[in-house]
Amino acid sequence: MTLPTLSRANVAALAFIVAMTAGLLAAPLFLKTYGVYLLSLWALNTVAAIGLNLTLGYAGQISLGQAAFLGIGAYAVAILMKAGVSFWLGLPAGVLLAFAVGLALGFPALRVQHHYLAFATLGFNALVFLVIRNEEWLTGGNFGIRVARPELLGHSLRSGIDYYHVCLAVLAVTALLVWLLLRSPWGRAFACLRDNPIRAESLGIDVRSYTLLAFAIGAACAGVAGAFLAPLVNFIDPSPFGLVPSIYLLLMVIIGGPGRFFGPFLGAAIVTLLPEWLRVADVWYLVIFGIFVVALMAFCPGGLLAVPEKVAAMRAARRSARGSAAGQAGARP
Amino acid sequence: MRKTATACVALAAVLTAAPAVAQDVKFVGIFEMSGPGTTAGTNFKNGADLAIKEINAMGGILGRKIAITSSDTASNPTTAKALAQKAVDEQPYILLGPVFSGSVLSSMIVAQEAGLPQWIGGEAANITQQGNPFVFRTSFSQAQSMPKIANYIAGDLKAKSIAVAWVNNDFGKGGRDQIAKEMGSRNVKVVADLSTEPGQVDFSAVVTRAKQSNPDVLFVYLNEEESARLLRELKKQGWDMKKNPVVGETTLIGQKVIELAGDAANGAQAHVGLTIDAPNPLLTAFAAKYEAAYKAKSDHNGIKGYTGVYVIKAVTEKLGKFDRKAFAEAMKTAQVSAKDNPGVLMSVCFNKDGDLDRDSYLAVVKDGKQVIEKTLPPVGICKVP
Repeated sequence: MTLPTLSRANVAALAFIVAMTAGLLAAPLFLKTYGVYLLSLWALNTVAAIGLNLTLGYAGQISLGQAAFLGIGAYAVAILMKAGVSFWLGLPAGVLLAFAVGLALGFPALRVQHHYLAFATLGFNALVFLVIRNEEWLTGGNFGIRVARPELLGHSLRSGIDYYHVCLAVLAVTALLVWLLLRSPWGRAFACLRDNPIRAESLGIDVRSYTLLAFAIGAACAGVAGAFLAPLVNFIDPSPFGLVPSIYLLLMVIIGGPGRFFGPFLGAAIVTLLPEWLRVADVWYLVIFGIFVVALMAFCPGGLLAVPEKVAAMRAARRSARGSAAGQAGARP
Repeated sequence: MRKTATACVALAAVLTAAPAVAQDVKFVGIFEMSGPGTTAGTNFKNGADLAIKEINAMGGILGRKIAITSSDTASNPTTAKALAQKAVDEQPYILLGPVFSGSVLSSMIVAQEAGLPQWIGGEAANITQQGNPFVFRTSFSQAQSMPKIANYIAGDLKAKSIAVAWVNNDFGKGGRDQIAKEMGSRNVKVVADLSTEPGQVDFSAVVTRAKQSNPDVLFVYLNEEESARLLRELKKQGWDMKKNPVVGETTLIGQKVIELAGDAANGAQAHVGLTIDAPNPLLTAFAAKYEAAYKAKSDHNGIKGYTGVYVIKAVTEKLGKFDRKAFAEAMKTAQVSAKDNPGVLMSVCFNKDGDLDRDSYLAVVKDGKQVIEKTLPPVGICKVP
């Protein structure tokens, strides 16, 4: 039996995953409840961003409605828990609902593309926000709903650290499932759809089904994140599910590097944690954050994970320039 | 050479500051310093900071100075919750803020679990209806202010019909529900129910619909900036405030609104819980100090932050110790008179829910100034000293 050979890149990725997991598991030892809460928030934002990365980065369908799916997951759980249903039954209900609505939202994507699609999804987000806010009998409207932390096998998850571990597990499972999906023929079909839809169709890929699926799976990821977000905050009202949070989720994907597996991890870390770290800058913290984002987009539109490649490409270009210059010099008689 | 000098200065600073730090009593503030709540949050913070500076200059509370660290919630309930968590980690004596009710609702659970007394600026009625023994108001709840307004509209103005323009957020919806209830019980008909968006710019449709419904009184319950825009639109469309009075709450004729609306604010009337224009020398003196410190006039949120800190001082000194649990217990029956504690500006009492009671005013804008028409007595939920 031969062991599968690992390329250098794969070894590096594996080592990175092991180090990251160890770091995240050990983090609560060094953090107070505030830090643990922020990391939990990061984990859930990453789950939602992984979903959007699938829709946007891999399948090329721009969506400005991801926060709406977060809201669908969160409110499904909150409303069911208020009615006395267990969180663990509310969770699949919320995720299925997000999946179904995502599927429905995929239909406009069959007709329109790019910024037209962005506006269609933006409109959808506004619609969901209005329903959440105005249907007070169901959602509590502006007054929101208080949500208790669930129990797991008889063990209460009230402690911040316990719940953080649950959020990490949710992130790990989602990431693994998406990783497997991307390595399946489906994942390759998504990429094909993004790069050249006409060619994809001519190769026999069912563009219609895959577009709908890209939306639905991306939405389901946000549904998962939302379902766990409600008990994390212990309270939900419409504000985290409006247009601005959707743009922040898009920013997470773009900053990290769309179409890159670890992009959402990095993007969510920057969007969730950086403003908190910058608080030492007092009233300037949001200004500094804004400048950082503008600079990043101006100098590295492919996201942070594209930086090493960009540097490598620049070096290679310099080397080849030097090489050709030397070659020309040598060729001279 | 310069490095050595800097090091010496730093060392001296540390040595002199160290004993003071050891004795300081810690406050943490979480305020809306960016986002839609900026005006409210910043005023609240400024008021609290001013009070803390004065108290520290007078020797602090029970001989200990107050050290406050403040951070910005960006008017976002999720961030407010995170910051409340951070505050709990720091083990302060008091948590000040936030001001927006949604942020209060998300953060108060954290403070309650940690047994941390929280002084809030939110006015939504449901905040103090959830049995949280650690949350205290710095202003009236809508449940207390709306009956006062309803009495004025139905009694003094003898209105039979009313149009309600409200902002569709937790603050506006809560107020709208309360006023509709109070009007119903006084047989005043709500002929138009006009919902508006937070941050709305164009109020022409709202005013047109209000005019079509032809109410005896237009009741306005919006945040400051939106109130100013509505007043301007009313003037543009020729609304006659003498024939159909425009009545609201503190936010309709706040300092900021008068600045933004200019002439259009003249004639607007409101029930005002806290105002620097009240016929009260303590409030006048506060207004001058605030303006000197921040080069701007304080609105009601500035007074909330300022008086809140002085109430904390009075109750703690009566208690004689820094004990969060005992403090929360003492607050349930607290009565603080302005005679003995001028910093509270107006005598005030608290009930077991954390709601407060005191005098309030009925004011009208004349020539770009708030003029107090009459003083309204306390509602009677506790005994004002």
